[in-house]
Amino acid sequence: MAVVTITNLTKQFGGLVAIENLDIEVKEQSIHSVIGPNGAGKTTLFNCITGFYRPEIGDIRLDDHSLVGLMPDQIVRHGIARTYQNIRLFPDLTAMENILVGLHSHLRSGYFGIVLGLPATRKEEKKASEEALRLLKFVNLAGKGDLLAKNLPYGNQRRLEIARALATRPKVLCLDEPAAGMNPKESQDLMDFIRHLRDALGITILLIEHQMRVVMGISEKVTVLDYGKKIAEGTPAEVQCNPQVIEAYLGRGSATQPCAA
Amino acid sequence: MNPALTQRFPGIRLGLIGGACLVLLSLIGMVEAFNQREIISDVISMGQTLLLLTAVFIGYLAAKRGRERGQGLVFGAGITAGLIMAGMLALLVLLGHAINMRQVFINASPALFQILIFQQEELWAGIGLLMLAGVLIGLSAALLCLLPHWLRRVITTGLCSVAVVGLLQDLIAPIFSAWDPLASLIELIFPGNGLSISGAVGLLIVVAALSAFWSFKGQAVQTRIQALPPQSRRGLNLAALLAGVIVLLVIPQVLGLFLSEVMTIVGLYVLLGLGLNIVVGFAGLLDLGYVAFFAIGSYTMAILTSPELGFFDWNFWQALPLAILFGVLAGVILGVPVLKMRGDYLAIATLGFGEIIRIMVLSDFLRPWLGGAQGIGKIPKAEIAGFEFATPQEIYYLILAGCALVGFISWRLRDSRLGRAWMAVREDEDVAQAMGINLVATKLLAFATGAGFSALSGAIFATKLGSVYPHSFNVMISINILCVIIVGGMGSMPGVAVGALALVGLPELLREFADYRLLVYGAALMAMMLLRPEGLWPEATRQRELHEEESVVRASKLAEGTAEPRS
Repeated sequence: MAVVTITNLTKQFGGLVAIENLDIEVKEQSIHSVIGPNGAGKTTLFNCITGFYRPEIGDIRLDDHSLVGLMPDQIVRHGIARTYQNIRLFPDLTAMENILVGLHSHLRSGYFGIVLGLPATRKEEKKASEEALRLLKFVNLAGKGDLLAKNLPYGNQRRLEIARALATRPKVLCLDEPAAGMNPKESQDLMDFIRHLRDALGITILLIEHQMRVVMGISEKVTVLDYGKKIAEGTPAEVQCNPQVIEAYLGRGSATQPCAA
Repeated sequence: MNPALTQRFPGIRLGLIGGACLVLLSLIGMVEAFNQREIISDVISMGQTLLLLTAVFIGYLAAKRGRERGQGLVFGAGITAGLIMAGMLALLVLLGHAINMRQVFINASPALFQILIFQQEELWAGIGLLMLAGVLIGLSAALLCLLPHWLRRVITTGLCSVAVVGLLQDLIAPIFSAWDPLASLIELIFPGNGLSISGAVGLLIVVAALSAFWSFKGQAVQTRIQALPPQSRRGLNLAALLAGVIVLLVIPQVLGLFLSEVMTIVGLYVLLGLGLNIVVGFAGLLDLGYVAFFAIGSYTMAILTSPELGFFDWNFWQALPLAILFGVLAGVILGVPVLKMRGDYLAIATLGFGEIIRIMVLSDFLRPWLGGAQGIGKIPKAEIAGFEFATPQEIYYLILAGCALVGFISWRLRDSRLGRAWMAVREDEDVAQAMGINLVATKLLAFATGAGFSALSGAIFATKLGSVYPHSFNVMISINILCVIIVGGMGSMPGVAVGALALVGLPELLREFADYRLLVYGAALMAMMLLRPEGLWPEATRQRELHEEESVVRASKLAEGTAEPRS
């Protein structure tokens, strides 16, 4: 069953067509990758899904709700969370606080409850910090809650960003190049972690990634974009053999070799 | 300037810079104006202290630069810098004697030159003395540079406290001479204008001893406090808090009329600062029109209570909620159009808003309702059950109560869902929105809360003064409040109090500063940005109950032997 359905999506910037007539169906609890050369429109797609860009034509649906025209904060409340290509934590907040910000939309206490310190508010805060601690542990950052986000090492920042996104309790998690800048060992760990995420939490993962090892290793379905258009879609093995994909990545004339698979 | 020359003699460049500073300080009249106040009677005045501190600081920098080039250059660089600085002052004196500079530099008076040459009758003897002083300053700066770190710290702390005590003699002497056992001691230390020599030496020794003790034992004391069980540490914090409250309550009784008046002004700035701290410090929205809400609070109070206009005849307590409400509403009204603006654009738009309010109040069109340039007078004092808050000492308590309330609300908000949302918006607006934070509501709440605090401050200001005038609400107030929170430490609540004391309280105490207030503000801001960008009392990385819970979890894990101890 599809959890995210993108139909006929088009996004233009002036004369530049960043995404053109795109159709994607993301199956529930799948790991679905979007790949393509630089400038293919992958991050633009993420920005359309999470509400930062408003597409000109087309529809994006989460289950039965259309997300087009909603603000980013409304979309995250519907259940789509994301991370960023260049890590965007709140640098001067602690790791704990970063996660607590992610929990924001699940907390209810109002202005006067906070100022008066009502029991309901206190209880909610306590529960929130328990959940944040649990999430820290989940991403292997237990004990680092009091460090400022900017002082964490790179790999920890990546994982903290994922924890912050998880704090919003998403149905769909969009990861934008999570393996960027990682060595083979680290990306192997990341692949295991992403699989564990999906299995343990039952969420759907939408992944943009450049490291083919990662993409081919964990994806159940791969969509390939080039110049804003979908040029191929299928299992990793199918996509790898597609001549159009090879051409997009390596240039015309490279696709003469018959595929081994 | 030849780069090779400054390479070889590192004191030259700094000496020239320092000399230019000293000449500037002299020519703008600071030295002469400050010379009225003696720091140590008949030994050194505040003006001379100013020059001396600047010269020693520059000399120290030069000596340090010299030491980086090689041991031998420490004295060379220090003395070169000292001589150049003295030489530039000497040139100024000679120039002043040769031609009349007062057409251009009105402060280049004979009196100034006499100060610079140590009141010597003979010009050349004075110049010689000045050069000698330069050499001595360079020498002592170099020695200071060679001392071990702790000793340097002890000496500078001691000397600085003597300077500060001398500076604040008008504050310290009257307070303590009221108490009998201390009165004779105070008479000994402050015989007249400035400290006595024995008083200064005694103070230096006491402070230096304390400082030395702290530099050796401080670490141990701190670790011992850290090692205390949470319960007794909490007790210690509570005791400190209690002591602070008692001091705050007793202050006006001890300080007397004038200083209590100063404290009320500081208190009003603390109130304003706490409000702006929410907008700028927490939510990162640079608001330069903050004075508008102060004005709205004041004018609401005036219109509702003053019999002069005769619309209403309410008392302070009836009008106060409405004043705050109008402030909050104005905050929302300002907030809506500027929601999409960031950074510089927001600052300019809010600046405009502040001016609009001031010009409206000043306008002839609204004169029948707002009093125009004449303002509104006869605002009654606040009153509770027959007790009137009339004198500065009484109004101080009113302001203290306001500060306590506002501080409490800020503190609660900061550690809440809302405070985190504000800080997330400050750090990265787009990501904050992507984390489910409604930007409109969050920003408007910040504007409204800050505006409410400002209006409260304005209402108290109106009843304190008994009248309101448009010129009390010019843009400088906004700038001053912003300076207070920058100097205190953005986002830090104790920082607001420290900043207000330093930037508002001190200039009130040191009358000589009045003319140079803006200059000192500018210098202080630049120094802060360079030396201590986090502010005087920055917000500590907060270690809340969470931390304790976490360490409890870790301890229990350790007991089970499942977790390795954190390094």
